[in-house]
Amino acid sequence: MKSALFGKVFLHELRVLIADRTLLLVGSLLVALVLYGFYNGYQETLQREHAAQELAKKQADKHAENITTLRALLGGEQKPDPFANPFDPASVGGGMEMRYATLPTLALSPLAFGQSDMLPNYYKVTDRSKASFMYDTEIENPWNLLSGHFDITFVLVYLFPLIIFALSYNLLTVEREQGTLRMLLSQPLSLAILVAGKLLVRALPVLLIMAVLPLLLLGVLRPQLFQADQLPAVLGWLGLVLAYGGFWFALALLVNIIGRSSATNALALMAAWVLFVLVIPVVLNIVVGLLSPAPSRIELATKTRLITIEGLNRYHDKLSSDYRFTQDPEVLLPRDGKIEVAPRRQAQFLIQRDVDKEIQRVLNEFSTQLAVQQMLVERFGWISPAIVTYEGMAAIAGNGAARYLEFQQQVDRFHERWKEYFEPRLLNSIAMTEQDYAEMPHFEWAEVPVQVSGILKRLLLLVIPALIVIAFAIRRMRRFSVV
Amino acid sequence: MLKTIQLDKHFGSHQALKAISIDVKPGEIYCLLGANGAGKTTLINLFLNFLQPTGGQVLVNGRDVQQYPLESKRDIAYIPELVMLYGVLSGLENLEYFAALATGEKLPRDKLLSLLQGAGLDATAADRRVSTYSKGMRQKVGIAIAMAKNAKALLLDEPTSGLDPKAANEFSQLLTKAKDSGVAVLTTTHDLFHAKQTGTRIGIMRRGELLTELNSADVSHSELESLYLQYMEA
Amino acid sequence: MLSLIARREFTEFCRDGRLFWTGGIILLLLLTALAVNWQHQRTADAERLAAQTLDYDDWVNQEARHPHDAAHQGMHVFKPQSALSMLDPGIVPYVGSTLWLQAHRQSEVKFRPAQDATGLQRFGNLSPAWVIQMLGPLLVIILGFNAFAGEREQGTLRQTLSLGISPYQLLWGKALALAIGLGLLLLPTLLFAMGMIVFTMSGNAMVDALWRTLWLGLGYSVYLGIAIFVVLAVSAKTATSRMALAILLGVWIVTTMIAPRAISDASRIWHPNPTRYEFTASLDNDLGNETRKAWMENFGSDQRWGSEVGIDQWGKALEVDDKAGYKALDHQFHKLWDTFDSQQRVQEWAGFVVPLLAIRSFSMGVAGTDFANHRDFSVAAENHRRIMQDKVSHDLVEHADGHGDHHFDYKSTREFWATFPKFTYALPDRKFALAHNTLSLAILVIVLLAAMVLAHRAVMPRKA
Ligand SMILES: Nc1ncnc2c1ncn2[C@@H]1O[C@H](COP(=O)(O)OP(=O)(O)O)[C@@H](O)[C@H]1O
Ligand SMILES: [Mg+2]
Repeated sequence: MKSALFGKVFLHELRVLIADRTLLLVGSLLVALVLYGFYNGYQETLQREHAAQELAKKQADKHAENITTLRALLGGEQKPDPFANPFDPASVGGGMEMRYATLPTLALSPLAFGQSDMLPNYYKVTDRSKASFMYDTEIENPWNLLSGHFDITFVLVYLFPLIIFALSYNLLTVEREQGTLRMLLSQPLSLAILVAGKLLVRALPVLLIMAVLPLLLLGVLRPQLFQADQLPAVLGWLGLVLAYGGFWFALALLVNIIGRSSATNALALMAAWVLFVLVIPVVLNIVVGLLSPAPSRIELATKTRLITIEGLNRYHDKLSSDYRFTQDPEVLLPRDGKIEVAPRRQAQFLIQRDVDKEIQRVLNEFSTQLAVQQMLVERFGWISPAIVTYEGMAAIAGNGAARYLEFQQQVDRFHERWKEYFEPRLLNSIAMTEQDYAEMPHFEWAEVPVQVSGILKRLLLLVIPALIVIAFAIRRMRRFSVV
Repeated sequence: MLKTIQLDKHFGSHQALKAISIDVKPGEIYCLLGANGAGKTTLINLFLNFLQPTGGQVLVNGRDVQQYPLESKRDIAYIPELVMLYGVLSGLENLEYFAALATGEKLPRDKLLSLLQGAGLDATAADRRVSTYSKGMRQKVGIAIAMAKNAKALLLDEPTSGLDPKAANEFSQLLTKAKDSGVAVLTTTHDLFHAKQTGTRIGIMRRGELLTELNSADVSHSELESLYLQYMEA
Repeated sequence: MLSLIARREFTEFCRDGRLFWTGGIILLLLLTALAVNWQHQRTADAERLAAQTLDYDDWVNQEARHPHDAAHQGMHVFKPQSALSMLDPGIVPYVGSTLWLQAHRQSEVKFRPAQDATGLQRFGNLSPAWVIQMLGPLLVIILGFNAFAGEREQGTLRQTLSLGISPYQLLWGKALALAIGLGLLLLPTLLFAMGMIVFTMSGNAMVDALWRTLWLGLGYSVYLGIAIFVVLAVSAKTATSRMALAILLGVWIVTTMIAPRAISDASRIWHPNPTRYEFTASLDNDLGNETRKAWMENFGSDQRWGSEVGIDQWGKALEVDDKAGYKALDHQFHKLWDTFDSQQRVQEWAGFVVPLLAIRSFSMGVAGTDFANHRDFSVAAENHRRIMQDKVSHDLVEHADGHGDHHFDYKSTREFWATFPKFTYALPDRKFALAHNTLSLAILVIVLLAAMVLAHRAVMPRKA
């Protein structure tokens, strides 16, 4: 009986929403927003992937060129270049060979820009100091960074609640205002079944569009979506949409049960939206910054400079010795597996090595600080479902702060390996051979799999508030007034 | 069938109903008379459990409506002063929906059409959108809904106000038919003539109090009118 | 008459608590944002000044060394923060503030504050400008959506008009009431800011900052004025207050949430800016071409730093190489910045439809926190770098190139270091800001006039 009644309410509401075109209007608006958001994210992802390919090609070309030059020099067909000498480890490690360490995109990357428009997704690693490449940023108009992007995450976090409001802000009050509520509830029909039917009829189509449409597009455009390791991310996406949408539907329900008129409902829902989506995140951002302020970048800059000065003093003698290639061009060619690495170049390597070593402490302060801030966000983020969802989206798209931080750390470790490879050769004047070229370290990104427990935690942070709101609404239902 | 025992209703400090006890038996038409604000609609709302009593009891078919809200609604059909329907749907679709809610089953189209006809709605109007209907036409759909339910009791809140005389007359005939098949009818009205004509019993209310009850057979129309005015002036 | 109408209207906001609650919350946000930003700016500024001085002292006092090595050590320059960034930080969180002026290559301004913040930063930056731009119009809607529609529902509109009051008087009375309500938020914020300026600054800088604050006040008054007249027009045109509210909220969502992002993405499609990869690639390409050409002309070989050019020409080679690079750097960087400029221009023009974009541009321009200011600093810093670089090469050509095979045992001394100028950069003054922002201000004023016309037409008695 109950389920039969529920079905009737559901079908009837569907009929009304179709007949008055609400569903068509709101549905097509949502489809349009999702398509535009997807287009933006997809373009960005394509651009990044294109850049990654170009970089890999550039690196391979340069490598091939070096090998050719090396062979030509060995055959005596060409004269060596003092600062681009394929035998000289200082030249090779310092830029003739380089590694473009790139962060690959994930299948769900088009769904959220995350931090990808600000932090670079590749670094050019040479034996030069971190300070020369690690602080790079992606090129983007700061105005656009300030505005933010129109991606799927924006549609979900900001606009989806508004779509939900448009459908359900007056779900009960309008029936009261029209007078149909008395007609309905004079039948053997409980309020709970009535609202459940009304809510579901509105929730199903929009949740379906929001959750499935982007997946369909992804499925067509990015086949890697179907790999087994993407399953947690895909389920995470579905879970986030359902739970976040569920929260706002729950809130709409509560407001309808409590609210007297459609106008107050609209205002109350807007107030909740402004609070959760606009105000709490920016206030929390400030609070987190106050609780764990960033260490001074100025101090970092000053420190780097001071260490460089010390280095210039320490390696004064090496720096003062002259290049000998003008007098003796033979020094540019290997002899018995050795090559004369100019002392100046050794000094430059050493100075940069020392800079890296010494500023590590300061850099660690930055990562610690950011980690503390992130922890604070995790700890207090639950106050706003918008924060939880935003962070969750960035994480499953692989464009979240955590993955970028991990990338920086892996690049950092790789940079160390690269320098360790060259240091003994550079300081002991060992000539590079073709064999060495084959054995130089390569950057391999070790993916951090999407954390299932992390996703579940986020979902709980959305589901629990939604359930609390629903429970409260059910309690208030008893005091609901038909007239 | 429709019974209240010492029913009180307060809205804050304002007492809308004071110790009302009435009992409408099957086969009776009980007409409630009273000026605007007397508490008639409030009483109907209490039968529908739209409002909760502050004192006393409301029983439908012997069951307390607060304890058995859904069961008691199965026994009653309700036609408000203004039958409000879904404007974007046709009269037939509205009837289909409400009838299905009322009976739990989906009625076939010809059955629905005959119900509408029985309520006096023009067959050509059945498939038009309700937003194009006049008040009388909507009222007729309301009647059809009530008929579809085959309820044991009818609750009517000024059902004929705003109907043209012919429609009002047809409506009275429908009520009489229902009474004859053993339905208990509680209706509020301002129309003394209608009350005398169709009612079996008449109650007069003023400011929340039931002043008197009488059998309509015992009074003539003019006697009822003078009695009513007398009560109102006192 | 006007004040009578306004007073009645105003009493209504006060009575039903709308002004107290929404306005109170917004004022609280405004003052909090102001205080936090102010505090932040003061510590950052003190630190910057200290570091800048230290930096120069270290440069002048460095030991005798080869000038090219000194140029590798370089100097750091730190961007000063505009005093009004406490009101509107503009793009400051998204651009760097530190530049390491080193040999060889123009570097970008590093260390964007947003990089040291979590993803939350992307929700926006709490500042008085953000609060007024986003929430100001919402407050106007809440206070004004039922100004006409509500009175029509209650029937008081007919009554008022039947007393012989012209609908225009009614319109201006209501507008005045709304303006007073909003003034209660805007004024304390501006006065608070001015107080801080007077309290902590002096001389020309103080006068400049005070002027800017006044201009900001003017800009925001126009912006909120637009909101007031649009709200009144819609309220007068719609039958019910529910309808008015729905329409106005829709307009607010589109103009503050959707349009800024959609237009910002559209401006990138219209004027695409390169990615870092593309930029670096084409800069490398240009630099390569320019320098090869210069080497060919000067040394008869296009092999940069090849063995044909001996150590005895190192200084000259540096000079040739650097100078050839300047052109390519200028070309590429200015092209990039011009693209950013064009993108911003698109957004400013969109201000006709989305006033938020016009006021955003005007506000950060006047506050001295927009891209034009940032660019000015970047150019000044790069010029300083070139001065340093040219002095170094010149010194080498003069003194080291004559040493034949002994080049790097040449050392410069403190006398030479002391001839390097200090980097003394002051943000451009308010004339610069106004010159760059006449367009956005003009757009705001035009939109305000249009909104007034719209409101007048909306309240015009309808012909039967
Ligand atoms: N929901 C309510 N809240 C407060 N007072 C009410 C409510 N419903 C009715 N009343 C008051 O109760 C009294 C009876 O009203 P009502 O039953 O509608 O009268 P009638 O139907 O006889 O004209 C009136 O004074 C009315 O103002
Ligand atoms: Mg009544």
